[in-house]
Amino acid sequence: MERETQNAIDRRIVERYTDQPARMPVAAREAVEGAWGGRPVQLYALIDLDAGMRLDEAWLALGESQVAIARRPTQRGTPRASDSVDETWEAQTFPRERLQAIRETPGLSGNTLTFLGVPDEPALAVVRYTHRQRRAVENVRFVLEQELEGRSVPTGDADDAYAASVAAPIREAQALVAGKQGAVLWRLLSYLGRYRGQVILGFVAATIITGVSLVPPWLAGYLIDEVVRPVQDGVMSVEDGTTVAWLMVAAMAVVYLVRQASALIRLRYLAILGEWVARDLRTELYEHLQRLSLGFYSRKKTGSLITRVSSDTDRLWDFLAFGVVDASLSAVMLMGLSAVLLSLDWKLGLVMVVPVPLFCWSIYKHGEHMNRFFIRAWRKWSRVTDILSDTIPGMRVVKAFNQEERETGRFNERNVDVTDEFNRIHQSWTTFWPVLMLAVHATTVAVWAFAMPRLLGEPNAEPSLSAGTFVSFLLYTTMFIGPMEVIGQIARTVQRATTSAHRVFEVLDTEPEIVDRPDPVRLEPIEGQVAFEDVSFGYDGVRQVLRGVSFAVKPGEMIGLVGPSGGGKTTVTNLIARFYDVTAGRVAIDGVDVRELDTGHLRRQIGIVLQEPYLFHGSVTDNIRYGHPEATPERVIEAAKAANAHDFIVKLPLGYDTIVGERGQNLSGGERQRVSIARAILHDPRILILDEATSAVDTETERNIQEAMDRLVAGRTVFAIAHRLSTLHKASRLFVMKEGRLVESGTHEELLAEPDGVYAKLHGLQMQLAVG
Amino acid sequence: MIRLSEKYQGLAELTLERRTDGQLWASGDDWAKPVRVHRCFPWSEPGRFLSLRDDDGEVALVGGLDELDDPSRRVLESAIAEAGFVLEVTRIMNVEEEVEIRTWEVETRQGPRIFQTRLDDWPTTVPGGGIVIRDVAGDLYHVADPTGLDGKSRKWLWAFVD
Ligand SMILES: Nc1ncnc2c1ncn2[C@@H]1O[C@H](COP(=O)(O)OP(=O)(O)O)[C@@H](O)[C@H]1O
Ligand SMILES: [Mg+2]
Repeated sequence: MERETQNAIDRRIVERYTDQPARMPVAAREAVEGAWGGRPVQLYALIDLDAGMRLDEAWLALGESQVAIARRPTQRGTPRASDSVDETWEAQTFPRERLQAIRETPGLSGNTLTFLGVPDEPALAVVRYTHRQRRAVENVRFVLEQELEGRSVPTGDADDAYAASVAAPIREAQALVAGKQGAVLWRLLSYLGRYRGQVILGFVAATIITGVSLVPPWLAGYLIDEVVRPVQDGVMSVEDGTTVAWLMVAAMAVVYLVRQASALIRLRYLAILGEWVARDLRTELYEHLQRLSLGFYSRKKTGSLITRVSSDTDRLWDFLAFGVVDASLSAVMLMGLSAVLLSLDWKLGLVMVVPVPLFCWSIYKHGEHMNRFFIRAWRKWSRVTDILSDTIPGMRVVKAFNQEERETGRFNERNVDVTDEFNRIHQSWTTFWPVLMLAVHATTVAVWAFAMPRLLGEPNAEPSLSAGTFVSFLLYTTMFIGPMEVIGQIARTVQRATTSAHRVFEVLDTEPEIVDRPDPVRLEPIEGQVAFEDVSFGYDGVRQVLRGVSFAVKPGEMIGLVGPSGGGKTTVTNLIARFYDVTAGRVAIDGVDVRELDTGHLRRQIGIVLQEPYLFHGSVTDNIRYGHPEATPERVIEAAKAANAHDFIVKLPLGYDTIVGERGQNLSGGERQRVSIARAILHDPRILILDEATSAVDTETERNIQEAMDRLVAGRTVFAIAHRLSTLHKASRLFVMKEGRLVESGTHEELLAEPDGVYAKLHGLQMQLAVG
Repeated sequence: MIRLSEKYQGLAELTLERRTDGQLWASGDDWAKPVRVHRCFPWSEPGRFLSLRDDDGEVALVGGLDELDDPSRRVLESAIAEAGFVLEVTRIMNVEEEVEIRTWEVETRQGPRIFQTRLDDWPTTVPGGGIVIRDVAGDLYHVADPTGLDGKSRKWLWAFVD
């Protein structure tokens, strides 16, 4: 069910965001399968460049025993298959068994894949494609290359694999693509549903405010026409007049009292309500963030995730607390005002009301127009902040190379540049608003001009407009401006809110890539046997970082992982802890596939010590018992002693209560490392991973750490990655990783016996260094 | 200057050819191997400092095209044209913003294309002239002469060029 919708979304993304088909055209597929004697296409990819590097549509298809390329005979197609009439395809095919090698030549935008057969014979096929098709092509290539190495890989649904690989980069940029603005807004408003009572109360209060605001101008007019003039003309007695006048003063007082009471209710309830919704969103977000896999975090910038939890939810608070109500009531206000004006005097009313939509529209247009300026200013602004985020952390380098002046110059240049952009924006709005207000006042003047003759009346006729109506009118006209501004900017307000909502929902809707099966296995206790069976893996779906790695490790063994950097050592450990899932093959703990295990339970049995130990903001104690907050002080000290950390901790002024981590006490690299080893010791894992845990420290500290580690590894299955081979003297076996393959394995002596081996060479080099 | 990598030093002149298997082959007097060409400065020095490599590393570093014999030069020229291929934008029909992504609808010399960039990924100016836009999949779109485009395209592009 879940997969199904994912695939549907992928297809929708391909349709909406690219100009290529969301699946291989039926005719092309039929042509290929026809050429294969009816055998089905297992995987395919779009080949979007022709031999002359023009955009084209051809299809690379993989079958059980064949590979085919389907092209249009004319070779002049555009990538829009769906609306093309010409649906004849020609399939060029070759048998998979003739393939001997595949070569990829990557380019800036055009990649070439050459299928090589017997050496010195023409290539079986050559295809060219842009990066957008690369993952899909890579899927095909992966299966073929695995076969060349004697492994067979099961393939899933061809359409799904294709749509997923084309949609992947777009999804990574924005997981909620294809979401509609209306739907997002609706979903956001649905968060208000939980607080229905408060929402209704707030709206009622706001409606009252709007309604009673219309009263004072009317009262003023009434006072003039029905009291002041009759009294002045002697039609009404002064006593009666005074009574009515006082009544009206009292009415005014009541009106304002009611208005401000409602304002209080409205502001308070809605502000609080907005906070609740923002709180709910933040909680939900953080909870969800904890569930997401590491892959998600390597794709998203930390800053952008922090913004989502902090400023985006804040902006939503603003929108829910005030934006929604302001916008709806401004609309009501404009309509109410118009109705009142038209009923007071329809001719004058028309003069005032007719231009209002025009004003709103011009405010909206102005916003649109400013958008381009904003993009430009934003771009230049990011060039300013780029320098800051570049040079402030790199200040040591700047100073070391004596580049302060150049950096200052670079900054000033960009600063001046962005200021010009901002001033361009200011020029635009500072012109617009006065001009707009001039137009608004012009309508007021027009009202005066229309009113005057009617107010004074023709020489022998009664004036057709009373002074009171005129005064009410003037008071009403000033009330137009506020709501007009709100309505004119409503598109922008809504857009900003939906953008924030979108960014929040995007995170909430991201499915963790690593999910437990419904009834996961719990190994109690884990013995510590680890096996890789033909494991292949790539982080991005394009490049295979591990290729066909197989090994079996017995409980309690210590394995040293060595080899050049980038060889895939850390990746092996990532797969053991199931931070990622394999592309092909199987990782098993105690004979059970890790995908069948309870991930949380598995990770509790795994301890990891990294080269760059990460300490959280908090006391040393908190850091040591991070995995076991309930640990007693005795156990904390015991662990710290085992980690050779106790002595230096005690010497700190605040001992175990010293605050470390960002903005905390500075510990040296070796000290931090020992704290993190203490954390691992307290954790007491069955499987221990040491990823270059001692690479970054001096020899003395290393000896200290080494001692601690020797205590730590006893009785556990250990994977230790190290560059200094001497660190691994205790290892029962060594695995040499190079370019994603396990190239050698065995004991130190066994590996040295291979004079041409990678390990022997590495060892030779390090001996030379040590001696020289 | 053509600098052969240490392993191949002392060997005769470098020749390049496109063999029937579709690959680019580099050879000296008693060796030959398929190579790929990488440009050291794809934008600022497109025709110079060409690194010919195989899976084990650099086979030769060619300082400039004119240092090769004619047939080899032609082969290398076409190889770098291929490696340096980018889509050449000739017209911009639409630029639309959504949450986190910006969709561009363009006409390129190679055909029409719709692509997306991240909102905070800005086009960059290139030393050889013009600007380059990189889409979410990594494809590059080169606008060689932003000021020479038609008025509507220029208007779309205005916010993105200096
Ligand atoms: N999170 C990641 N996303 C994409 N590629 C990665 C990631 N981590 C590592 N890689 C790539 O995988 C390859 C192997 O990396 P790694 O396992 O860290 O090597 P080692 O630990 O042996 O130095 C490298 O080429 C590296 O660039
Ligand atoms: Mg590593």
